[in-house]
Amino acid sequence: MLASSRQAARHPLHVIFHPFEGFWELKYEQSPRKARNTALVILALLAITTVLKAQYSGFLVNMNNPTELNSLMEIVYVLVPVMFWCTANWSLTTLMDGEGKFSEIFASTCFALVPLVLIQFPWIWLSQGIALEELSFYRFFNALAAAWSLYLLFVGNMTVHQFTPGKTILTMFLTVVAMGFMAFLCLLFFSLIQQITSFVYTIYQELALRG
Amino acid sequence: MSTKTRKTCRALLLALSGLMLLGSAAEPAWAGERQDGYNYSAWGKAVPAPAAYEASSLVNGGEAGGAAFKEPSDLQAAQGGKVYVLDSGNNRIVVLDADFKPIRTIEGFEREGQKETFDNPQGFYVSESGEIFVADTGHARVVHLDEDGKLVKIVEKPKSELLAADFAFKPLKVVADRSGRVYVMAEGVFDGFMEFGSDGVFTSFIGANRVEVDPAEYLWKRLATREQRSRMVMFTPTEFTGFDIDGEGFIYAASASRNGQPIKKLNAQGADILRRGGYYRPQGDLLYDNAKGPSRLIDIDVGDSDMYSVLDAKTGRVFTYNGDGYLLYVFGELGNRIGQFDTPIAIERVGDRMLVLDRALGEITVFGETEYGRTLNEATRSYYAGDEERAAELFERTASLNANLDYAYAGIGKALLRQDDYKQSAEYFKRSMDREGYSKAFLLHRKELMREYFSWIMSGLVLAAIAFVVTRAVRRRKGRAVYARIK
Repeated sequence: MLASSRQAARHPLHVIFHPFEGFWELKYEQSPRKARNTALVILALLAITTVLKAQYSGFLVNMNNPTELNSLMEIVYVLVPVMFWCTANWSLTTLMDGEGKFSEIFASTCFALVPLVLIQFPWIWLSQGIALEELSFYRFFNALAAAWSLYLLFVGNMTVHQFTPGKTILTMFLTVVAMGFMAFLCLLFFSLIQQITSFVYTIYQELALRG
Repeated sequence: MSTKTRKTCRALLLALSGLMLLGSAAEPAWAGERQDGYNYSAWGKAVPAPAAYEASSLVNGGEAGGAAFKEPSDLQAAQGGKVYVLDSGNNRIVVLDADFKPIRTIEGFEREGQKETFDNPQGFYVSESGEIFVADTGHARVVHLDEDGKLVKIVEKPKSELLAADFAFKPLKVVADRSGRVYVMAEGVFDGFMEFGSDGVFTSFIGANRVEVDPAEYLWKRLATREQRSRMVMFTPTEFTGFDIDGEGFIYAASASRNGQPIKKLNAQGADILRRGGYYRPQGDLLYDNAKGPSRLIDIDVGDSDMYSVLDAKTGRVFTYNGDGYLLYVFGELGNRIGQFDTPIAIERVGDRMLVLDRALGEITVFGETEYGRTLNEATRSYYAGDEERAAELFERTASLNANLDYAYAGIGKALLRQDDYKQSAEYFKRSMDREGYSKAFLLHRKELMREYFSWIMSGLVLAAIAFVVTRAVRRRKGRAVYARIK
């Protein structure tokens, strides 16, 4: 048990340092259930880190108004983009001869987010002990984590779908466009629902007040 | 929260409740403190604040039996608390004493033996020594009178290759610096202010605003044919609406700019050197409804200690900033009661009073400082003069009168920094959202901590190193033993 949990913790680290090998194993060698569970844990960790970052980062780097901070919204800001990305990516790659299944796309995306979790953890607390002069270190490490994650996302996508690098870049770009479309459709949907409910409610009110 | 801060908190609360008790009995300024002012917090939210100024009286010029003001358009303070009012509708200048009693009127002047008058003058300037510069709009000239009302010179429509042949000179406002240079804001001039030398000869334009282009309008223009384009309105830079000059010769200018910088401080070369170190750039109201649009600043008045006030014609509010660009207080509004205006046109700070001139009503509303306003003004002055100790004291009082004034805490933080209380100082800077100040105090606090705990940190590190070496040695030996047993 101990050995397996240690292995489960080590696997994501192996993936981020050896992306080509790691993502290959993720797709072809690991059990899908295990991969999915690890991915969910990573996502949960990222959500928690985001909340912690918003709440506990040092004053100099924390631009959030503490009176308006909502942990649930912070979690939503992490989960929704990831789900949007996976859905958009899956929808596109099914049309573009990608070999990845949805669960594989989800797992590879979550594994690619590991650097964001790793870098945040020390820096949430380190940021409380820095002055303006040392802010560039903070920015550098954040940028490094973001670049690393992007690279992992790229390699993950390429491996999961068995695409060429050029096609992967194109797919990633199109995925972002598709995410925009999805956001627009969601907004449209919700505003229509809102209108319908308010319409129904008005009719109800009219009838209730007249009757 | 440490016990120390809790203690200070309790002391503050006690002091506050004490103030409330005292206020009802001893200090009427506190008891009568109206809480209907507002300010913007560091987060850009509108937060309640005590009123900094309260209207005390109205002046319409007719008090001493003289004619009342008719569409006055400008007022200026001069030495000895005298106030000059440009009574445009009556084509005269009325001089009021410190109690706002008319003591003199200037109806015209003598030029080469001929008596001449003004024609609908729109603006004027009174220098420290009492010299008067009148933008005599109807006569297309600027008249320079000495303190006794005798003519010194007349600035006529300039002849220059910088100006179009059909240029019509319509001076609206005028200021002059100490060396006698005259700056004129004229109608239809988009190149900035017209600068005239002390001899009245036109030298150049300074401080032109930039052209602001609306993207949608720009797109239309690109799509239009040349004929259509020629009939469209040209993109022109925003015109200035008002200006003032401070003791050092810097021009403070207000304009109705929507997106650019509505307030500017121009140096002799016309470069904008206004400090915008506040939570947001000085611009009047930060929040406004879209139908009404942003503030339309029509007059600016620079007082002592780099404090300046701007008048928003849309809402009738007066915004006062300090030299760093922090919003200090807001007062005034449109309406029918005292302290409210119909068409405010000009403001002027006279000592501890603020005067607002209403064009349609022909009235000056006199505002007096409240306790809060006085404390804040004094704090700003002390800070400007470099007396940080006294400033901190006053800022502390300000903060106890208005806990929402985030800027006040930075003032306290600065004084604490000087007293080497870095930890407290950092806390205060944090409270005022002053990241630079916080960083400065925090660095010193960190250094202090490091020095204090250096021995502990070093012994900890050494111990950790020893522990690491020992465990490694033990492990290796254990591993060797296991290996030996297997063998």
